[in-house]
Amino acid sequence: MTKINFYLLEYAYAYIIRNKIKNIFIITVFTLLVALLSTVFFITTTVEHEMKGRIEYKPDIIVEAYKAGVRSSVDEKLLEKLLEIHGISSGNLRLEGVYDFRAKNVRFYLYGVAPFEEVSDPFIKNILKNEELNSSNMLVSKDVKELMKQAYYDKYFNFIKPDGSFKKLYIKNYFNIKKRKEFQNLILLDQDALREIFGYKENQGSYIALSVANKNELDFIASKIRLMLPNVKVISKNDLNVSYEKLFNYDSGVFLSLFIISIFTFFIIIYDKANGLSSEEKREIGILKAIGWRVEDVLHAKFYEAALISFFSFTIGFLLAFIYVFILKAPLLGEIFMHQNLLDIHTFNLNIYLELSYSLLIFLLSVPVYIAATLIPSWRVATLDADEVMR
Amino acid sequence: MLLQKLFLILLFFINSVLFAYPNYSEAIKEKQIYPLGKKIYNTKCSKLDPLDYKSFEAVREAINQEKNCKSLQVKYKDALALYIWEKKRVQKSNTQKYPILKVSHSEKCPICGMFLYKYPRWVSMLEYGNGKKLYFDGVKDLLKYYFQHSTESMDLYARDYYTQKTISLKNAYFVIGSDVYGPMGNELIAFKDRKSAQNFLLDHKGKKIIRLKEITEGMVYKLDD
Repeated sequence: MTKINFYLLEYAYAYIIRNKIKNIFIITVFTLLVALLSTVFFITTTVEHEMKGRIEYKPDIIVEAYKAGVRSSVDEKLLEKLLEIHGISSGNLRLEGVYDFRAKNVRFYLYGVAPFEEVSDPFIKNILKNEELNSSNMLVSKDVKELMKQAYYDKYFNFIKPDGSFKKLYIKNYFNIKKRKEFQNLILLDQDALREIFGYKENQGSYIALSVANKNELDFIASKIRLMLPNVKVISKNDLNVSYEKLFNYDSGVFLSLFIISIFTFFIIIYDKANGLSSEEKREIGILKAIGWRVEDVLHAKFYEAALISFFSFTIGFLLAFIYVFILKAPLLGEIFMHQNLLDIHTFNLNIYLELSYSLLIFLLSVPVYIAATLIPSWRVATLDADEVMR
Repeated sequence: MLLQKLFLILLFFINSVLFAYPNYSEAIKEKQIYPLGKKIYNTKCSKLDPLDYKSFEAVREAINQEKNCKSLQVKYKDALALYIWEKKRVQKSNTQKYPILKVSHSEKCPICGMFLYKYPRWVSMLEYGNGKKLYFDGVKDLLKYYFQHSTESMDLYARDYYTQKTISLKNAYFVIGSDVYGPMGNELIAFKDRKSAQNFLLDHKGKKIIRLKEITEGMVYKLDD
């Protein structure tokens, strides 16, 4: 089969048109099935990809202080104590927090920056490279700037301190978040300004970020800190990976059941189709043989017919899924992942990410199977004598 | 006369309070103060030449005079001064630097034939006097080779377990018998100083701390048993 036989292709096309009702039904079912499966995989792979990306730049070990079972601020003295541990290569007192902007019902993510401090995240590092902050200005993301503008804060913003007074910060500049969707509501500001806004005392911070040079030693050091300081919560990067994965696996379990159901439905349809042809179809093959077609010509035409239907449906289904997930932002199915989760993803506003292997899997599960299911019964009929079929 | 003396004493005290030598532990200096100082030095105050000053106070004074560094907060000035006085000055006078241990994807260990890029933490290196370099997947294999060819002169390098920085094995401390295994099983874990080796020994149930001079060929082969 080196060349496409256009006469047979035309015949196959004419056959599809002739049996309009039946083929429209097949195409609809096929398209919906591919769309459903692709949607499942698009959503799970994008969320997983996003999760991996977010963990990548987290510190190796996070140490949070707890007081009466509730998270509280960390003292700088603790950092000095932790730095004495062998294997920890560097560490700093981080100042971060979430500020509730009630007028717009959004939460700003405030990230405190100390001059000369080493920033591990390349994105933030890049922003800070040519900007110097002082305690009366800040850098905001484009979205934040937009939100502030809606509340008539064009040049500056008044943060409300815990005691009710204002802390006025000027908007120095804004930045585009590009692909880092988790920084949609990011505000970069000086550490002292952040302390003032959240009411931290001097030498206090939100948590301690430690980095470990030898990653083999990570878990050992984490457990060592746990033993040393009973009142802190120690989260190593490995723990973080595990807990994200756990949550993700639970969510994708729901998806998997959906996937299995749709695959089974598809195979039932295929089984039904492969089991036999209608008498009309049998007669058609018989006539073709009677007017001189060889078995291979019949199969050729049938192959074109099945290929046309399945490729068309696959493409449309794939496109529908793409539009549904990435352009319409997965209205109903996306909700499964959008609950109160560790990543704080509240809208399915993620980057487009396609994993080719899954698309290939869906393709191989649907198109060749359908073609085979069309060819096998036709071949069975075509090998019989023409008069036997038409009788 | 007495008033003059008193004034001098007072002046001395004020001076010492102003530029008191900051008292940090070695670990904090290494992990926090020096990197901070280095960054400040490189971004703001690279004009200061560490060899110009006779004392820490002189450095501190010079920082206060320099127009770029004048406005820094006290803690940053301290870090900068410490970096210049304790690190930068020493670095200038003694420029010995160890090579970075980096291997390509095709490099194999001459002793066991394993690919090295999979275990970047364990890569060790042997350098002949003529500049020829050989890479191994651990100190154990390196020493096997070393003892087979012990007639020639060569430099040995590996990574410090905790800091992952290159160290010369001639002045390294090794821990044997610990519960940390390399790609080839039991390993000699290298450390830059006795303190960290001691710490590792206690943490990871090591048996013994040894130096390169004390290691015999038999000891190395015994690790494989």
